[in-house]
Amino acid sequence: MLSPSAEKLPSSISLSPDEIEKGTSLWKDAWLRLKKNHLALFGGIFILIFFTLCVLGPFFLGEEYRIQRTNLGATSPSLDHWLGTDILGRDMFARILYGGRISLAVGLSATFVSLTIGVTYGAISGFFGGKTDAFMMRLVDILYALPFTIFVILLMVFFGQNIILLFVAIGAVEWLTMARIVRGQILSLRKQEFIEAAHSLGLGTPRIIFRHMIPNILGPVIVYTTLTIPAVMLLEAFLSFLGLGVQAPMSSLGSLIKDGADKMEEFSWLLIFPGFAFALTLFSLNFLGDGLRDALDVRASKD
Amino acid sequence: MRFLYSLSIILFFSVFITGCKNRTTNVEAGIRDQILHLGNGTEPQDLDPHTVTGVPEHHILMALFEGLVTPDPVDLHPVPGVAKNWDISEDGLLYTFHLNKNAKWSNGDPVTAEDFRLSYKRMLTPSLASEYAYMLHYVVGAKEYNLGELTDFNQVGFRAIDPHTFQVTLKQPTPFFLNLLVHPSWWPVHIPTVEKFGGLERKGTQWTRPENLVGNGPFTLKEWKFSQKIIVEKSPTYWDRDQVKLHQIHFYPIESQETEERMFRSGQLHKTNEIPLSKIDVYRRDHPELLHIDPYLGIYFYRINTTIPPLDKPKVRRALALAIDRDSLVTNVLKGGQQSALSFTPPNTAGYIPKAQLKGGSDEARKLLAEAGYPNGEGFPTVELLYNTSESHKIIAEVIQEMWSTNLNIQAELVNQEWKVYLDSQDTLSFQICRAGWIADYVDPHVFLEIFVTDGGNNDTGWSNQEYDSLLEEALAQSDQAKRYEVYQRMEKILMDELPIIPIYVYTRPYLLHPSVKGHYPTKLDNHPYKYIYLEADSSE
Repeated sequence: MLSPSAEKLPSSISLSPDEIEKGTSLWKDAWLRLKKNHLALFGGIFILIFFTLCVLGPFFLGEEYRIQRTNLGATSPSLDHWLGTDILGRDMFARILYGGRISLAVGLSATFVSLTIGVTYGAISGFFGGKTDAFMMRLVDILYALPFTIFVILLMVFFGQNIILLFVAIGAVEWLTMARIVRGQILSLRKQEFIEAAHSLGLGTPRIIFRHMIPNILGPVIVYTTLTIPAVMLLEAFLSFLGLGVQAPMSSLGSLIKDGADKMEEFSWLLIFPGFAFALTLFSLNFLGDGLRDALDVRASKD
Repeated sequence: MRFLYSLSIILFFSVFITGCKNRTTNVEAGIRDQILHLGNGTEPQDLDPHTVTGVPEHHILMALFEGLVTPDPVDLHPVPGVAKNWDISEDGLLYTFHLNKNAKWSNGDPVTAEDFRLSYKRMLTPSLASEYAYMLHYVVGAKEYNLGELTDFNQVGFRAIDPHTFQVTLKQPTPFFLNLLVHPSWWPVHIPTVEKFGGLERKGTQWTRPENLVGNGPFTLKEWKFSQKIIVEKSPTYWDRDQVKLHQIHFYPIESQETEERMFRSGQLHKTNEIPLSKIDVYRRDHPELLHIDPYLGIYFYRINTTIPPLDKPKVRRALALAIDRDSLVTNVLKGGQQSALSFTPPNTAGYIPKAQLKGGSDEARKLLAEAGYPNGEGFPTVELLYNTSESHKIIAEVIQEMWSTNLNIQAELVNQEWKVYLDSQDTLSFQICRAGWIADYVDPHVFLEIFVTDGGNNDTGWSNQEYDSLLEEALAQSDQAKRYEVYQRMEKILMDELPIIPIYVYTRPYLLHPSVKGHYPTKLDNHPYKYIYLEADSSE
């Protein structure tokens, strides 16, 4: 089988001299590779649609997610309520969109927290090496050893159930792997010529790290980030399932699934629809992450 | 959906049938060995009859201890317990109990009049701070001793004439006195055991551990696996042991109603503590013989912490109370035959029908809120609504949260806590509004109205009203029932004007019961003495 880079070779030879000078960027290469991966493309499109729906939907549906029609109770899907209603007569479609919004928000912001901490920490550790590195990495090891669900539960119990705290708490335990990955990448970069060149030019440490090293490791970081989002969403769902996540009348996909699971025998749609939405989102994000890894990190790809 | 539904039913039954063939379930094994498996809601706070206040604890204590009288299994009228008979003086003030000579503690010691006297002394000791101590305040000198105004216990109206004769002198002829004795606060504890493990004046000591506990009830505590189950076993020393047919009772602390219902269906429980709201209709349709909805003399209400603004304003509390559409809650959500509660005492409690009732709808509520300085809820802080972890409390809280939001534009935040933490929050007033239930300990309006006396152990709202307190005294002094009820009407009026609580609905008791459980009758207080219960397979099965 041809490797993606080999495939590209003839076309670049056939280009006119002007175009050769222009060259193709790393990102364009990656996009070409990603386009060939149908699953990843499908994932990306689904995420885009779901994301748009979740962000814009509640503007059209307004307070629909919390309006109760107790005299209606749980009804199966109909024209009025496309995905049925829950036992208090709240529209499931609105609740799923609203829940998806919260789940995505938790996923994105917690990932952002973990990204910021992880990249900075890993880069500093890898760049300085030696004792600093050893100390910083042992700290990560120790934090790794903490049973993190219990840690999050403790935070929730002590500081109350606050959605901002949920973001922070999850982000605070998710940065560890990111720090390790970044550190490994930085270690391999720091002996390279262009860094030595930067050193000999007299550039300061922060400038070297943030302007010269981090752009070079963006590939793996992006890949890992797309894989962190679903992991975080799963963690949030799991916390909501335990009753520690978002509080009523708000919903997240996790809390909807929990409510549905309790009532699946009588009102199956309460579990099926949020479960389906959640599973599809996770699959899509994972496929997209996989696809991005293949596209951005040529060395790690299968072929 | 219809298809999926039938598919899941088929799958469920195929599992169920094969399950039956391959192994015996708890229920079947239980019928064979007379072992009753009960869902009991939550892990008990403790098993000390003098310090606990909850219903789950009561369910277990009923097996382990016995008072002077016990309730009849059908209508709960007092029948002999440790006392084999009793005399009441003409003026209704002096009760003489003749104790059964065969009554024994589980370690073989006889149960004596002195045991009762010392137990009541412990119950009234100020430093024990028992929430239920006021149950004994009907006795001469008991209240004074309990408040520390009297230090000589010999002046309190308890006399041990001889080891088998016990006398109680009451302050007023209390017509419901014998019914009171059924309550755990009137049960004896084995004094030497309590003393040995930490002393008489301490709560939560080791004496209630299975290896230490000495009781006088029909069962003894065999095993207490924290958060798993509590096992009690037939007591060989109990005086009426021939009546006891069950060999063991297993109590499971299951907080999730869904889990409980699943366990019932898979044959692991004979009786559930509750039933999920969403399942009531299903059982009513498919298995009406398993669904029981008993009348239950109790009220579901919200306590308001009246010590913090803005909840200290009666108008605000009234607005919150009026903004709840109880009828909709009861008929559309609860569906278990409950009634809307418009007063605190449930209607027709021993013939008492409260006249003071909450009147007015959401318009009135909005008006009141505006008068209190929050037109359209503007400037009103977010209130915290606390409930103990349970699916139905959550659903009710969500419904009320929404009613407050739509009718008053007041936002509430839901907080749930595990049972023990929740009880603690209530006692220490660390809540804003919290869910509560009050189940009658005996059938008399007094049991509901007495809890809101100033600084009462179960007041838990910070509310205090002097007129109310003096009316309570007046009611007890009244021997004529009609006149006594008149006083209660005035108390109810004060309560409904000031509203330290928001009445929501009058309980019923929906649960699932396996048909093999016999000797289990619907009683108004959900009190089912275990010594009359036995298991027998249906002949049709």
